[in-house]
Amino acid sequence: MEHILTNIIFLPLFTAILLGVLKAPIKVLKVGATFSSFATFALLGVLIWHFDPQQGMQFTQRLPWINNAGVSYFIGVDYLSLVVLTLITILMPPLYVYMFHEDRKGYWYNMMLLQTGVTGAVLSLDLVLFYLFWETMLLPIFVMIGKYGNGLRQYNSMKIVLMTILGSMSMLFSILYIGFIYFDTNGVWSFALNDLSTIVFNAKTSIWLAAGFLLAFAIKIPLVGFHTWMAPAYGSAPTPAVVIMSAIMAKLGVYGIWRFGFGLFDATLSYYAPTIIVLALIGLLYYAVRAITEDNLRKMFAYSSGSHLSLIALGLFLTNVYAWSGSLYFIATHALSSAGMFIMIGLTYKRFKTVNISELGGVASVAPKFTFFFAFFALSIAGLPGTGGFVGELLIIVGAFKANFWVGVFTATTMLSAMIYIFWMLQRVLFGEANNSTQFSDLSLREVVMLAPIVLLLLATGIAPSLFTPIFEPQLTASLQEVLTSIGGLK
Amino acid sequence: MIEQILLALPMAIVVIGAFALMLLSHIKTIKLRNMNLVSLIFLAISFALSYYRLGNNATPFLFVDVFGNSFILDDFATLFDLMFTAGAILTLLINHDYFKNRTYFNGEYFALILFSVFGMMTLAHAHELVTAFIALEIASLSVYTLVGYHKNKNSSSESMMKYMILGAMSGAFFILGTAMIYGAVGSTSLTDIATYTHSHDMKEMKLLIVGASFVMITILFKIGAVPFHSWVVDVYHGAPYPITMFMASTFKIAIFAIALRLYLVDFTSINGFWTQMLQAVTILTLLGGSWLAINQTLLKRMLAGSSIVHSGYLLIALSSIGLGSELAAPAIMFYLIAYFLSSVGAFGILSFIASKSKKQMSYDDFKGFAQKRPYMAIMMTIFMLSLAGFPSTIGFLGKFYIFTAAIESGQILLAGLGIMTAFISVYYYFKLIAVMYFYESDKSAKKFPINISTVLIVMMALMIIWGGIGTSLIPFVPGADGFIDIAKQAIGSLR
Repeated sequence: MEHILTNIIFLPLFTAILLGVLKAPIKVLKVGATFSSFATFALLGVLIWHFDPQQGMQFTQRLPWINNAGVSYFIGVDYLSLVVLTLITILMPPLYVYMFHEDRKGYWYNMMLLQTGVTGAVLSLDLVLFYLFWETMLLPIFVMIGKYGNGLRQYNSMKIVLMTILGSMSMLFSILYIGFIYFDTNGVWSFALNDLSTIVFNAKTSIWLAAGFLLAFAIKIPLVGFHTWMAPAYGSAPTPAVVIMSAIMAKLGVYGIWRFGFGLFDATLSYYAPTIIVLALIGLLYYAVRAITEDNLRKMFAYSSGSHLSLIALGLFLTNVYAWSGSLYFIATHALSSAGMFIMIGLTYKRFKTVNISELGGVASVAPKFTFFFAFFALSIAGLPGTGGFVGELLIIVGAFKANFWVGVFTATTMLSAMIYIFWMLQRVLFGEANNSTQFSDLSLREVVMLAPIVLLLLATGIAPSLFTPIFEPQLTASLQEVLTSIGGLK
Repeated sequence: MIEQILLALPMAIVVIGAFALMLLSHIKTIKLRNMNLVSLIFLAISFALSYYRLGNNATPFLFVDVFGNSFILDDFATLFDLMFTAGAILTLLINHDYFKNRTYFNGEYFALILFSVFGMMTLAHAHELVTAFIALEIASLSVYTLVGYHKNKNSSSESMMKYMILGAMSGAFFILGTAMIYGAVGSTSLTDIATYTHSHDMKEMKLLIVGASFVMITILFKIGAVPFHSWVVDVYHGAPYPITMFMASTFKIAIFAIALRLYLVDFTSINGFWTQMLQAVTILTLLGGSWLAINQTLLKRMLAGSSIVHSGYLLIALSSIGLGSELAAPAIMFYLIAYFLSSVGAFGILSFIASKSKKQMSYDDFKGFAQKRPYMAIMMTIFMLSLAGFPSTIGFLGKFYIFTAAIESGQILLAGLGIMTAFISVYYYFKLIAVMYFYESDKSAKKFPINISTVLIVMMALMIIWGGIGTSLIPFVPGADGFIDIAKQAIGSLR
C-alpha cells in the first residue's frame, strides 16, 4: 500500500520505457499501453477502496531526493487530488480505445508520458516535484500538437509551449523565493507543502509571490486575457491531446490554485478574489460569445471549455461551501462531458474530414447512434438536468447568489448562453440538409463501448449526486473552514 | 621529492604528451588516427590520476623549493582538471572521424589540444598572478591557433585574427592589473594578496582595486560577457566544429577556475566594490546574449549566443558571492558541471554530424532530423532541454541553485531577469526540437551507428538525466545530490 501512488504515477512511464527499449512493434505497443492504463485503473480501484473520506492527506510517501536543497519526493492523496486522479485514470482507457487504429508509435509513447506527467502533478506535495511534473507534462503535448496536429501545427505548438512556460517560470520564481523564506526563518531548506504552509508572509511579499503562482494557473485555465494560446492549440491538436488538455490539464490550473494557492497563501488570495471573479465573469460571457460565432467545432468547444472553467474558477474564489462543492463537482463532470464531446468531434473528423459546422449537417437522418451520443455530450456540457454538469452548475450558481446577489444574477444569465450555442450548433450539425459529399457510417460497436462508460458516469453523477458527495464533502468543508478562518483573521 | 612528482603527475603527463605529440607530428608516416590514440592515452592517464586525487582534503603547494607558492593542489583545481581532461578526451573521441574528409588537419592539432589543456590545468592550479597569466596565455595561444586551423578558409582565418588581437589586448589588461597589484602588495602571490586585502581598509587599497578591476576585465572578456562579447559569435562560427566544441565547453570553464579562486580567496573583502558594475554587466550579458541567440539561423551561432547567456547566469552567482551568499560558489561549480555536460553533448552531436557532411547546419538543415536519425534526435532534445533548464535535467538544477543563491543574496530583480532570459532561451532551444520533430524528411531512417562517438553522446545524455533526477542510490555514480556535494567539497578546499 505504501507505494501505491508511486506505482500509479510511474507505471505508464515504465511501460513506455520498457516498450521503447525493447523496440516493441506497434501491436505490442498498443496492447502494452492499454494494459498500463487498465492496470492504473485497477490500482485506483484499490486506492479508492482504502481511501478514508474523513481524513486529510493519505497514502503519503516522503523520500529524500535532493538533500542539499531540501527537495523531497513527497506525494499523497486527499479528496481533491483523488477527484482529478480518478478523472485521469478513467479517461485513459477510452482514449486508448479511440486510438485503436493509430499506427504511429510516437503517439502512443507520448500518451503514456502524458499520463505520468499529469498524474504526478496531481499527486505531488513538494513544490519542486510539482514543478517538474508540471513542466514535463507539456513536452508530450508539444510533440503531439507539433507532430501529429493539423493546420498551423508547428506555430501553434510553439505558442502553447511558450505561453505556458512563461507562466511556469513566474511560478518557479515564486517557488524559489518561498523556499528561501522558509530557509531564512527555519535554517533548513524545504519545499514540502506542509512545511511551507506554516510560513507567515508579510502582506506585500505574499501578494507578489501569489501573483507568480496565479499567472501560471491563469494561463493554464485559461482566464480571459491569458487565453490566446487556447483556440489555436485546441484547433491544431489531435483528438487525444485535446481531450487531455481540456479534461485534465485545464483542470490542473484550477487544482493548482486550490492546492497551492489556498494551501500557501489563503489570506492573500482574498486580495485577488475580486479581480479573478470579475475576470471569470467576463470570461463566462466572452467565451460564450466567441463560441456562438465560431464555425470550427474544436475551437467552439475550446471556447466553451474556457467558459466553463471560468465558472469553476469563479466558484473557487467565492469561498463558500456551495460554490466549492459545485466547483469540485463541476471539475469532474465537465471533464467527463468535454472528453466525450471532443472524442465525438474527433469521430466527426474521421468521417467527414472536416469539423466546420458550415460543412456539416443532416447527421441525424443517417446515424442515430452517433446523433444520440453527440447530442448527449453537447447537452451535458450545456448543463442538461439529469447529467452531472447540471448539479455542478447549480451548486456554483447557488453559491454565487449566496456570495453576492448581482454576481449570482450575472452567473445565472450567462449560463443561458451555453444553451444558445449548444442548441444552435446541434441544429446545424445534426439536422438540416444532409451533407452528401461523404458516406456517413454510424458508430461501431467499439466506439459505443468506449463512450458508454462516460455516458453512464455522467448520468450517475447527475441523477444520484449523493453517491459521490460523501467522498469529498467532510474534508472539503474542513479545508474551507480553514481558509475562511485565516481570511477572517486577516480582516 | 617523489611525492611531489606524483602530485604533479596529472599536469606533467599532459605536457609530456604535448611535447611527444609535437615531435611525432614530424613523422609523416604516422596516421592521424594513431596520433589521436596517443593523445587520448596521455589524457586518460591524467584523468584517472586526477580522479584518484579527488576527495583528498590536503592542499599542498607543489615544489615549494622551486616554484615557491605558485602551484597549489586542492580539490577545487582537481575538479577542474577532471573537466578539462574529460572535455579534451570527449572532443578527440567524438571527432575521431572529423578529419577523414579534411586535408588541413595534421599532427600538430593534437599537440595544441594537449598544450591548451596543460595551460588550463596550470591556470586552475595557479596560486600566483604571473603564473596564472602565463597559464592563461599558454591555453589562449593554443586555442588561437586551433581557431585558425582551417588555413584556406577565410572565415576561419578571420576569426583567428579577431580573437587573437582582441584576446591579446585583454591579456595586456591582465598583466597591467598584475603590475598594479604588485605595486600595492609587493608580491603577486595570492596568499600575500589575501593577507593584504584582509588587513587593510577599502580606502587604503585604491591601487589594488584598480589593478584587480583590470584583471576582472580580462576574465569578463574571456567568458564573453557583454560588452566584451563582440568576438564570441564570429569566432565560434569560424572555428572548425571540434574546436568550437572544445572552446565552448572546456576553455570557457577554465576562466572560471581563476575567477572563482581570485574572487573567493583574495578579493573577498573588496568584491563588494564591483557588485554594481558586475550587476550592470550581468544585465547586459543576459539581454545581449539572448538577443544574439534569438536572431541566428546557424546552430553554431545560436549556441555561441546562448553561451553568452550562460555566462550571464554565472555572473549572477558571481555577484551573489560579493553580496555574501554562501550558496553561490557551489552553485557556480554545479552550473559549470551542468553546462559542461550539456554543451559537450550539443556540440558533440553537431560536430559528429558535421564530420560526414560539409553543411553549415542551420535550423533548416535539421528539418526531419528525427525521422532520419531518431536516436540522435532524442539525445539532441535532451541536451537542448538541459541547456534551456527544463526540469528533470541537470541544467534545471544548475539554474535552480543559481537563482536560489541570487534570491538569498537579495538580488531579487536579477533573479527575475535570469528567469526571464531562461524563458527566452526556451524559444531558441525549443525551435531546434520543433524543427527536428515537426517536419517530414524525404530520406529514410539511418541506422544508429554504434561507435565510440555515439556511445559517448548517449552517456552524456544519461548523465544529464541522472544528474537531474537521480538519487544517490547507485554507488560511484553521482546523482543530483552527488554533483552538488562534489561542488561544495571543491569550494570548501579553497584557501
